[in-house]
Amino acid sequence: MSMIRPFEKPLGMRDTLPGIFEKKEWIRQVGREFFSLRGFDFIKTPTLEYYETVGRFSAILESNLFKLVDSQGNTLVLRPDMTTPIARIASTKLLKEKVPQRLAYFSNVFRAQELEGGKPAEFEQMGIEVIGDDSIYADTEVILTTIDLMKRLGIESFKITIGHAGILEAIIRKNVQTEEQFTELHQLLVNRNYVGFEEAVDCFVLTTEQASTLKSFIEEATSLTNMRQISKYLYEKEALIYMEQLASILEIAGVQEYVAFDFTIASHMNYYTGMMFEVFAANTGYPIGNGGRYNGLLENFGADMSAVGFALRIDYLLEAMPKIEDEKESVLILFVSTQLAQALEQTQQLREQGYRTTMQSLEGIENFAQYEKQFTKVVRVGQGGTSYE
Amino acid sequence: MNEPLTIAMPKGRIFEEAYELLIQANFDLPETIDLSRKLMLEVPSENIRFILAKPMDVPTYVEHGVADIGIAGKDTLLEQQRHVHELLDLKISTCHIASAGLPNTVLDEIAPRIATKYPNIASAYYRERGEQVEIIGLNGSIELAPMIGLADRIVDIVSTGQTLKENGLVEYEYITNVSSRLVANPASYRMKNERIIDLVKRLKACVK
Repeated sequence: MSMIRPFEKPLGMRDTLPGIFEKKEWIRQVGREFFSLRGFDFIKTPTLEYYETVGRFSAILESNLFKLVDSQGNTLVLRPDMTTPIARIASTKLLKEKVPQRLAYFSNVFRAQELEGGKPAEFEQMGIEVIGDDSIYADTEVILTTIDLMKRLGIESFKITIGHAGILEAIIRKNVQTEEQFTELHQLLVNRNYVGFEEAVDCFVLTTEQASTLKSFIEEATSLTNMRQISKYLYEKEALIYMEQLASILEIAGVQEYVAFDFTIASHMNYYTGMMFEVFAANTGYPIGNGGRYNGLLENFGADMSAVGFALRIDYLLEAMPKIEDEKESVLILFVSTQLAQALEQTQQLREQGYRTTMQSLEGIENFAQYEKQFTKVVRVGQGGTSYE
Repeated sequence: MNEPLTIAMPKGRIFEEAYELLIQANFDLPETIDLSRKLMLEVPSENIRFILAKPMDVPTYVEHGVADIGIAGKDTLLEQQRHVHELLDLKISTCHIASAGLPNTVLDEIAPRIATKYPNIASAYYRERGEQVEIIGLNGSIELAPMIGLADRIVDIVSTGQTLKENGLVEYEYITNVSSRLVANPASYRMKNERIIDLVKRLKACVK
């Protein structure tokens, strides 16, 4: 590796400069108030966790984890997601106090460095988890919360695409002969490689019926007009009836324009067991977030409980959000040292009135004409008195 | 449904084949276009904007969402593993990836060397076969490598086999077939779903 220059940061790491910091902080504040009003409790978990627990149970591929070793020789990971640490703390502590738990977070997570630009190795997520409520209303609450949050953040054009891990698994499994075929087809759908899916179906040893069922399922499911179309692919209709019920609840809530159903959605997050969804918006080419039901994860930590949640990525939210015009006034008190008392008094008054006020002594800067330009209002406190500009 | 759609197209021969396919699919596009030096082409009647890119770069534009969809070779998709949805095999510019070398030679026992402009595809292929090889990355004239003793084998695109023959090389293993694919950005696929699905359906009907 070539010599590291002073300006360089490790691959995938980003600074947050004042402009972006303010915008992220605004999202954080809006999110904080928004989730609080809905009865969610905020929590924070450590940056480092054991590989043996959180590292292993998280759905993030092992090769994408940041690992290090502690002084006792245990392998640690930088938290790769928030769902798994929350599952840990809920299973081992919080659920003993009350059920269900409604938890919210705003946190940075770490994924291994990728060589190319546009893929940070550390990024912030905001999300919720509803733990211990297995009803359809918990699923609904999570979806509606996502929709309302997007609207609250001023994003008008967005789409939530909902699928179901169990339904997809049942349909593929019924139409393949081996576990390897299942894994390969599932992975092709995770990558959304429809061409590869059809090619794989053609070259697998399957019955003619199985092959044609898989192909027509993909064809129909990607342009679904009515959920009933899927029914013929399933023996067990329970999950589909559940999804129909979910659709009608969402209709009652009046949010149909934001949701679409697609039963070919497969996630690399392999802990999802039921309903799952992805969030996309105009102006950003990346998925803003995803969510779903993960009923098996808590068992790893010793609590047999259901859970559902979602997470949104702050960096992609910033791309999708309308520009926030910063109209805030900022005042500069430029004083000469002899008038310090007067300057202090003026400053205090302005700050009490809620103005962002900067105190700067004239002796401390060289080019004050240039410096003054960044403020909307300048107050000069000099020996000759106070002048406003 | 008529939101603007940005399509990343590969420059050169594939462009013409793909453009022809779009015309066959009843898109209202000008029959003749002057592409000399142009990098963008607006078609107001269809609300489509074409961006003309180097074939290897099409998946990059699509992954980052600056193009909603694109037409990319399967070789590029395999090599780069980008996050794009592969929607349709257009079955144009078909060829295959193969290994080739001088006739009647075997891989070096200690350090077999493979020259290629597809290091990821080549290394995945040999790993799958249980052979550890050393990859040498080249950008063109790959056929030179075995001739002058840089590598035992090359891994490259073969369409007619003429270039191999002219350079005294023979094909050893068929690795995978290649054709142009229609790919989509994941967010565009959701946000402009109706338009993209419609395009896929119309193209599908024209693909032989």
